[in-house]
Amino acid sequence: MDHETFERRLVVLFTAVVALLAVLSVRLWQVQVVQGDYFARLADENRLRVTSVAAPRGLIVDRAGRPLVVNRPAFTVALMPTEMVRPHEEIPRVARFLSMDPAEIRQRLAAGRERPFEPVRLRRDVPKDVIAALEESRMDLPGVLIEIEPVRDYLYRELGAHMLGYLGEIGDADLRRLRADGYESGDLIGKAGVERVYDRYLRGRSGELQAEVDAMGRLSRTLRTIPAVPGDTLVLGIDLPMQQAAEAALGNRLGAVVAMDPQTGAVEAFVSHPAFDPDLFSTGIHARDWNALLHDPRQPLIDRAAQAGYPTGSVFKIVTATAALELGLVNADTGFYDPGYYNLNGRIFHDNENEAFGHLSFLQAIAVSSNVVFWTIGRAVGPEHISEYAHLYGLGTRTGVDLPDEIAGVVPDPAWKRRVYHQPWYGGDTLNTAVGQGYVLVTPIQAARMVAAVANGGTLVTPHIAVEIRAPTGQIVERIAPPPAGRVPLSPQTLATLRTGLAAVVTRGTATSIQIPGLAVAGKTGTAESGHGKPYAWFVGYAPADDPKVVVVAMVENAGYGAEFAAPIVQRVLEVAFGMTPPAQPGDPKP
Amino acid sequence: MSTATAAAPTALDAPQARRRRLVRNLDPLLLASTAVLVAFGLLMVYSTTRSMPHPLAYTRSQMLHLLIGVGVGIVLVAADYRTLASGWRWLYVANLLMLAAVLVIGRSSLGAQRWIPLGPFGQFQPSELAKLVIVITLAKHMADRPGPYRSVVDLMPFLIHVAIPMVLIFRQPDLGTALVYGAIFAGMLFAGGARRRDLAALGAAACLVSPVLWHFLKEYQRRRLMVFLDPALDPRGAGYGIIQSKIAVGSGLMWGKGLFAGTQNLLQFVPEHHTDFIFSVIGEELGFVGGLALLALFLIWLWRGVRAAAVARDRFGALAAVGIVSMVAFHVFVNVGMTVGIMPITGIPLPFISYGGSALMTMLWATALLLNIGMRRQKILF
Repeated sequence: MDHETFERRLVVLFTAVVALLAVLSVRLWQVQVVQGDYFARLADENRLRVTSVAAPRGLIVDRAGRPLVVNRPAFTVALMPTEMVRPHEEIPRVARFLSMDPAEIRQRLAAGRERPFEPVRLRRDVPKDVIAALEESRMDLPGVLIEIEPVRDYLYRELGAHMLGYLGEIGDADLRRLRADGYESGDLIGKAGVERVYDRYLRGRSGELQAEVDAMGRLSRTLRTIPAVPGDTLVLGIDLPMQQAAEAALGNRLGAVVAMDPQTGAVEAFVSHPAFDPDLFSTGIHARDWNALLHDPRQPLIDRAAQAGYPTGSVFKIVTATAALELGLVNADTGFYDPGYYNLNGRIFHDNENEAFGHLSFLQAIAVSSNVVFWTIGRAVGPEHISEYAHLYGLGTRTGVDLPDEIAGVVPDPAWKRRVYHQPWYGGDTLNTAVGQGYVLVTPIQAARMVAAVANGGTLVTPHIAVEIRAPTGQIVERIAPPPAGRVPLSPQTLATLRTGLAAVVTRGTATSIQIPGLAVAGKTGTAESGHGKPYAWFVGYAPADDPKVVVVAMVENAGYGAEFAAPIVQRVLEVAFGMTPPAQPGDPKP
Repeated sequence: MSTATAAAPTALDAPQARRRRLVRNLDPLLLASTAVLVAFGLLMVYSTTRSMPHPLAYTRSQMLHLLIGVGVGIVLVAADYRTLASGWRWLYVANLLMLAAVLVIGRSSLGAQRWIPLGPFGQFQPSELAKLVIVITLAKHMADRPGPYRSVVDLMPFLIHVAIPMVLIFRQPDLGTALVYGAIFAGMLFAGGARRRDLAALGAAACLVSPVLWHFLKEYQRRRLMVFLDPALDPRGAGYGIIQSKIAVGSGLMWGKGLFAGTQNLLQFVPEHHTDFIFSVIGEELGFVGGLALLALFLIWLWRGVRAAAVARDRFGALAAVGIVSMVAFHVFVNVGMTVGIMPITGIPLPFISYGGSALMTMLWATALLLNIGMRRQKILF
């Protein structure tokens, strides 16, 4: 290639460069001179305003479609940071109206700085009289926006609070994780319960309003609207009457109640007391309320049904009995002698009340809950096998219920004790474990699943609160039916013995007080030493005994005997579940 | 080409005399336009960052890089540019290793890995310097294979030469810089004598491949490109930059709102307004006149660059100068075009102006190379 050609091509290149710069110049002329006034107006009149239109969150209803959680319209006060004229005067004034701290408002404004055209929400659910007062001063407060937004409304307040959950403004960690899914800062997100687990269905999609506004912040022209898409409806397996009955039966004692369909694992009642009022959170919880909840010694924020483990006492005998039966060590008729104490290498273990049952069969031992018999067979079964069968029943592992932060509980065995306590396993540990004392920790939802396995013939169901997701139009979007977690290998004989034993508990054993005329109930009491105060009272039961439809578990902290304090709760829930009005108690007022 | 007319040093050329002649040959217009551009850049970096928590931090950092850039630049002017070419293979490999290192250890920023941390010395963005290295090595490569290029096949070695670093940069992902390579490649091949129809064929091939590339883009890049076509798609997200930038530039009108007086600038409506979007603040504060003046400065600089190519004493120097001109012209067009909504947002800085040490130093060294090439020109002027 000769130099002339090169120079010719250089000329072409330079011409291209000049052309490109010319294109830019023309474009600049167009933007700055031809359309300049338009952009200048947008720039100084505060021009374009884009506000998001909150989507109504999906409803939460019980299995019959009775609403549990809905939305109600409420006023939200927001601030357009760019529209304020004298922020240092305006912010304290707005703060006074909303009874907020000016520093908090400044903090919120700083957080919303990346998107200065978006209003920063200051307070949701502002009372009408405050709105009226604000409206009057509107002219002096440019940049203040009053919007109507849906606010979450928990119709039954504290009912099922732990299971339903509550809302809160999205945190930084969640925001980073979920930004790609369309979550934005200031959004409300489910923080607990099904509100959190099913947030992506419930939240809907917020819409958008693009508009030009004048210097006073009034809309002058709507440029574009994208309507909000409401969230899907969450249908729970919960039965509102059963839930209400369970709430009332537990009353203001500390504890938990779980009712479940033993075939499907659908949870029909889910109670943890003390509870909290989720409405407190719907509009951004006040620091005072939050601290009160956080520092309440009764720990109302903990879900006692799935986030707390307890020794089960004799409820655990279901595990020990299964192991002994499956290993062929006993059968229903094996005879025992219960002198009221057990001699472990010279150490004497006494039964609770020093009660001596004398000669009795294994079946009777289940019915009357003889500790001596279960200590005897517990030693024969051995800690490894007890632990193995406990795990087969799903103890020591999370049930997989659709709630956040479930815990796994503890099933001890020698290896576990060595790992955790660096101590050897003693004979007394085996005795304790065999009757659900010592290191055993079980959540009420785990207990419910264990009993369900006996009731349904050995299937380890996966409990679930929600059963369906429906579009706002009513169409089913998704059915929630998690597959079972496994099977407990129960021979027909074992199953028959367990069921007969659990039925005998109610017909002639420890829980005869809760018989329901016309309904055969089976179950097991538990009275677990808590180490502080009165024992934990447990009752796990199901009905009808021959064709189980409902499993109910009740646990009351530091109450006393299971038969006395937990069994009546189960009885009450079963009565409601099967539509039986309880016979009028003496002393009840006549209707 | 130029080797035939290149002057052999004569016995009369005493070293001092030669040095004096070289200094006399320094292009004053190129020097002056560079100086004004750099000063302009410092002023605008100050204007865009002075309301930040540490008002002088950015300007100071930029000045520090300016000093280092000028210091190294003087060495680059003093040494004969042909010595740069001698180790081009090593330079090329080292460059690739550096780009690969970014992918491995690079620090992430806005979803892209572009920086290598240098401890107390801050961080370094190898893809900036890599552009210059590619210009130098490709120029030498083309000088070693002077053609004539009779078919697309003859261009393949050069295509591979550019494609490897381009893919590495694309993976970071830095779409804009990868496209700069395309511009450098096209400019140098055209000037270097490739046939127009071969270049057209390569261009057509690139168009055919681009749907495949679309697949490799990160989500945010796709969104930016889609939003470029319709900013209203996402006025609070990716479209926000474009809309706000146009408002800023447009509201500058003929004379601008005055230096330091841009409201869009002050309120930080324009994202990245001290780096990629610095021109929108220039447009806002200095208006159409200021923007045009800046483009005129770039025109002078580019003109002197083309002149350096024209007078270069050898094919290597000529092609290197063309590569630098292509690179800077592309930067200016895409960057300014993006702020006025005729180019997609790709994150390419405005040469000499945008805040960013690696970019500023690279541009200074590119200028040094142009000065060097122009200074050691053919004896016979035309």
